[in-house]
Amino acid sequence: MSRRLRTPLALAALAAGMVNLALIVQADDARPRSLVYLLIAIIGVSWSFVAAGLVAWSQRPDNRTGALMVAVGLAFALNGLRLVGTPLGFALWFLVAMLPAAALAHLIAVFPDGHPTTRLQRVFIVVNYTATVPLALVQLLLVAPAQLDCGSCPDGLLGIGGRRPYGEAVLAVSGLIEVALAVLLLWILVTRWRRASRLRRRSLAPVALVGIMLLVVYMFRQTLVVVVSRPAPFHVGFDLAILGLLMLWPLGFLAGLARTRLDRSAVGDLAIELGEALPPGRLEQVLARALHDPTVQLAYWLPDRQVFVDAEGRPVDLPAAGGDRAVTILHHDGDPVAALVHDAALGDEPEIVQAVAATGRLTIQNQRLQAEVRAQLEEVRASRARIVEFGDAERRRVERNLHDGAQQRLVNLSLALGIARSQVPTTSDGELTEALDEAAAELRLALAELRELARGIHPVILSEAGLGPALASLAERSPIPVTLAVASSDRLPARVEETAYYVASEALANAAKHAHASAVTITARRRGDGLVVEIGDDGVGGADPDGSGLRGLADRVAALDGHLQVSSPAGEGTCVIAELPCRS
Amino acid sequence: MRPTLLIVDDHAGFRSLARRLFSSGGFDVIGEAADGHSAVTAARRLRPDVVLLDIQLPDIDGFEVLTRLRDRSAGPAVVLTSTRDRTDYGERVDRSGAHGFIPKAELSGAAVLGVIGSGPMR
Repeated sequence: MSRRLRTPLALAALAAGMVNLALIVQADDARPRSLVYLLIAIIGVSWSFVAAGLVAWSQRPDNRTGALMVAVGLAFALNGLRLVGTPLGFALWFLVAMLPAAALAHLIAVFPDGHPTTRLQRVFIVVNYTATVPLALVQLLLVAPAQLDCGSCPDGLLGIGGRRPYGEAVLAVSGLIEVALAVLLLWILVTRWRRASRLRRRSLAPVALVGIMLLVVYMFRQTLVVVVSRPAPFHVGFDLAILGLLMLWPLGFLAGLARTRLDRSAVGDLAIELGEALPPGRLEQVLARALHDPTVQLAYWLPDRQVFVDAEGRPVDLPAAGGDRAVTILHHDGDPVAALVHDAALGDEPEIVQAVAATGRLTIQNQRLQAEVRAQLEEVRASRARIVEFGDAERRRVERNLHDGAQQRLVNLSLALGIARSQVPTTSDGELTEALDEAAAELRLALAELRELARGIHPVILSEAGLGPALASLAERSPIPVTLAVASSDRLPARVEETAYYVASEALANAAKHAHASAVTITARRRGDGLVVEIGDDGVGGADPDGSGLRGLADRVAALDGHLQVSSPAGEGTCVIAELPCRS
Repeated sequence: MRPTLLIVDDHAGFRSLARRLFSSGGFDVIGEAADGHSAVTAARRLRPDVVLLDIQLPDIDGFEVLTRLRDRSAGPAVVLTSTRDRTDYGERVDRSGAHGFIPKAELSGAAVLGVIGSGPMR
């Protein structure tokens, strides 16, 4: 429909312009040359609006801005009626004279939506058009030419029923309506700019720029009228400047429209980018670009846990309503899928947000599932780390209990035996002394075994002095000679030190028990943020990485997000390497 | 004259046994303390020749008590002790400035006299 309309409209505008030109050429001319220039410039404005409007129309058939621009252009073409030398022609021109301004006001009031979106806009449009033909008709009937300050107006149709008092009242009311309309339009524009998101301001800016330039030139001319003379000096120049800006204005509208179109094309780009598999977090960047909001965050809904999580599966708190950040919940089949957290200013671009959301729906759903899996993995990882930490805490507690309880009591017993031994009279027989010495020796053995047991449960030296001394103590007690190289004396997080220690301790025990090694090397060094512990022996090799000891170590290392590597070719010794990240 | 001794340990049973052991082992036990802070106070008040200091205490540990005692010149000779082994504390014992370390199970008047006779470590 609209497509078929465009060609006739273009031809009509062209024809109207040509007719205008013809009228200018044939007009008998006592007219000042300057008026001719102005009329020619008006044809330029008309064509400019029609041409730009047709382009806008074809690019955005869903937006009425293009059609409105064509209407403005055609309305300007009606100015030629003024040149028809008959009273009827003049009366017709008089009736439609305000139409170009009204159409232009309509266009500005609803740009860039192309249709009114608020009640105020609707009221404005209705009053706006009422102030054109109907008001002009009333003026035509009631106002005398002399009252219009219209020297060249032909007599006849004007003021047919007119009597001066009515005429003055009509003119006063007309003036009031025009002022009210101007104020209303200004109010609409200021409100719209203030509420506009960055996105919307991008499209309003070119229109506003030319509009402000127009206003400045107009105000300057009117100031000169008041201050210097009427008409203003160089008034033709001013008029031509205004018409020149009017000719430029359609380009402003076109540019503004193209800027919202840019964003729609970003939605198109979005569709293309979403065609590829996106790494986690990348979708957020793509959406941020499409929405021109670098702060966009995407949170995925996990129905089982009733929480929103980020791409990595970590819980996210959505901002409360009313702040700088707004939330758009994306649904699928009525269930929430994700939440788009964005600049609150985007709230007045719901259609763009929804378009972006609709384009991204499949990917968002896909990423939501991935986030769900990551959240579960994260939960498993965290619970595994908690289990290891809980185990370590229990070991420390048991060691502490042994130290404070059984060990302490045996120590007291040992002291009591010592006191008893010292009080045995030197004259008594040797059996009692012997028995007491035997008891003391047994007690020393029991205490030593208990100490070893406690140390196996938790090496106190690790928490007391750190990994280096703990490994040194381990090496000292080892039945196999150990060469130890610890590159750093920095204290590391307890779980890292404990894991590194247990890896070394287990590997050393294996070297002695199973590998029949004659020498072991233990090295611990920092690599980046992490710690690398390496234990090598010269034993028989052939260790089974899936055996319970090494498997347990691997699990323990993995609980810290670390990595355990076991290389044990038969006959070539065993090398165990643990890489442990130290970040919390 | 017998050297004076202050016993610092949080176990009352151990303190009473140690008092008996050292009283009969050549020392004049002039005081006891059950935690780190009262150990520092008692040492400053009683000015013992020797402090038998348990490393594991409920408030500040034995190493910290030692540091505070060493702030004053002419402090007492300090002998560290613990249910645990010396190796369980790594180099901290060596660096502490104590005269020596004796595991609790091996305490005796003779052992302590031997340690203080050889002067402070390092």
